Amino acid sequence: MKILVIEDEAKARDYMRKGLTEAGFIVDVAENGQDGLFYAQEHHYDLILLDVMMPGMDGWQVMAALDKQIHTPVIFLTAKGTLEDRIKGLELGADDYLVKPFSFAELLARVRTQLRRGGQQKLPDVLQLADLQLDILKRRVERGGQRIDLTNKEFNLLHLFLLHPGEVLTRTLIASRVWDMNFDSDTNVVDVAVKRLRQKIDGPFVQPLIHTVYGVGYRCEAES
Amino acid sequence: MKTRSLAARLSLLLSATVIVIFSLSGIALYHSLATQIGVRDDAALLTRIDQIRTLLRDEDAITLIQQKPRLFANMLGNTESLLVLRFPGQPPLIVVNPGQRPIPAITPVPADQPLALSSVHHLAAADGTPFISAAALAPTRDGNGQIEIITGRLMSDRTQTLNSYRDQIILATALAALLVAAISVWLVRRALTPLRRLAAQADAIDVRHLAQRMPEQAAAELQPLVAAFNQMLSRLEMGYHQLSQVSADMAHDLRTPISTLIGQTEVALSQTRSVGDYQALLGSNYEELDRLAKMIDNMLFLAKAEDASQAMDLQDIDLAQLGEKLQDYFDGMAEEQSMRLEMTLHGELRADPQLLQRALANLMANALRYGDRDSTVRVFNQGNSLMVENQGSPLSAEQQARIFDRFWRADASRHQGSSGLGLSIVRSIMRLHQGRCEVHSEDGVNRFTLRFPSVGCGH
Repeated sequence: MKILVIEDEAKARDYMRKGLTEAGFIVDVAENGQDGLFYAQEHHYDLILLDVMMPGMDGWQVMAALDKQIHTPVIFLTAKGTLEDRIKGLELGADDYLVKPFSFAELLARVRTQLRRGGQQKLPDVLQLADLQLDILKRRVERGGQRIDLTNKEFNLLHLFLLHPGEVLTRTLIASRVWDMNFDSDTNVVDVAVKRLRQKIDGPFVQPLIHTVYGVGYRCEAES
Repeated sequence: MKTRSLAARLSLLLSATVIVIFSLSGIALYHSLATQIGVRDDAALLTRIDQIRTLLRDEDAITLIQQKPRLFANMLGNTESLLVLRFPGQPPLIVVNPGQRPIPAITPVPADQPLALSSVHHLAAADGTPFISAAALAPTRDGNGQIEIITGRLMSDRTQTLNSYRDQIILATALAALLVAAISVWLVRRALTPLRRLAAQADAIDVRHLAQRMPEQAAAELQPLVAAFNQMLSRLEMGYHQLSQVSADMAHDLRTPISTLIGQTEVALSQTRSVGDYQALLGSNYEELDRLAKMIDNMLFLAKAEDASQAMDLQDIDLAQLGEKLQDYFDGMAEEQSMRLEMTLHGELRADPQLLQRALANLMANALRYGDRDSTVRVFNQGNSLMVENQGSPLSAEQQARIFDRFWRADASRHQGSSGLGLSIVRSIMRLHQGRCEVHSEDGVNRFTLRFPSVGCGH
């Protein structure tokens, strides 16, 4: 999967390249609109990450030029979260947007969503991690052959973890995906929920699957 | 809108009024004068016929006419008159006609009838000048039968008089209109002097002099304007001060986490550390940065909420469903703090679902954070009023008054990772819905109420 990052801010460009490369993508970067447009026309990319505020040719102009020629999904990154701005981007043919500051986990989640949508990959009905199995249709969870009873929320939380194995999920992202709470209410709700899920999933077993990433959030994977 | 000078408009209106009034009265005067003069002239003509009749009755007419034709001519006294004496059907005995006018063919008044104004015939000459004439029969002592007197007069002098009168009226009207226009321009300008003064005074007020107010005015009409303007200034001043205060508070609130970030990063970089230390530092930095990002989000939300034009997505919300969702979210947290959460929301409410959820969640998070252990947080509603109640330390009057202010915390030690913006966001959300939020503290029970307007918001 090839991704093009068009971003004029050097530090932002670098961490996105690094993070996306480590997440298993092939990443090209462009530091201004003209170069970005040139790359997008010369090569095939599965996804383009586009910064709106750039000197010279800005993101809107790049998007307008792209839309006429290429049907690659575009996620635009903007510091202005106003409704008009978002609508403008979506009208110009962007597929999604992220408002700065955003967490990298959120960016990664959106990237995967777009790539799935483009590739029409069907998600499996049973998700597996080490000896843990989650059956989406039957809403059953087993570990090492033992059935584990989860509440609705715990099931949804585990489902989210298993959809993003090995990725760090921030509290904000979890609150948004599991409870549909899209704002900060200064609470430890997510921590409490993860703690309870951990007691059921990891408690009785030797190998921990849910790991705390100090300060950032949680990650679900077989190797610590 | 096209701006037009008040002075110009007023003087135009006044001049037009003067023209209309003068013209109407001029026309009325002209007509009454013309009527009066006409009657007078008709009467003079009749008098003349009467005199001739009398003369002819008393004297031997024929003889008189033949001997003294000048007498008759003199009786007429000017070139505009006409006199014919004749026996019907015969050549005239005398014709005084210096103007060479055709003799009018009119029926004479019989000899035994007195003359009246109705006997006068009004004709006109070829050029339109009025020509009045009358005819009458008179018995004679020395003629055979009755003699016919025909007399007439061309009214050119009268026409002239009336024409000059009319011209005078037009002139007077025009002059009066011009005079009124000039005077009214001057008067209006003079009357508007206070307004110009007011503009100059308003001009002197800027951000540095927001405390200035417009002085009292002498003109009663300007008082409401000045009062309204001063009230507007007061509101602006208050808003401006609040804004400055918020900016200052925000800078302070940003200072602390940023200072922590700089300090701990500096210390960590000052020598080589273990991987664990670096991870701990980065994690801590992430936490602080995340807090900053959320604070910026909340500040932007508040700034946008100040702008009443923010798009509201009003819907009829099923409160029971919303309650279930919030209970789902907060249950774990409540249990963790060994508190109970009692949700009894019911009915429907018209509001923006995202905003309502946010307001309630902020209140509930607050209640769970500051409530006593082993107590119950109750969320219920009475119609359009939603309450969140917890048991906890009572709030003083000063705390109740300021609890919804930005960055205000009941006390610094109670700052448990909260931004101090939660309740001001609640207040903004209620303002957007044209409702109110209230706090009430009594007997160890703190109750926050969201009052939504009973009718849907007038958007």
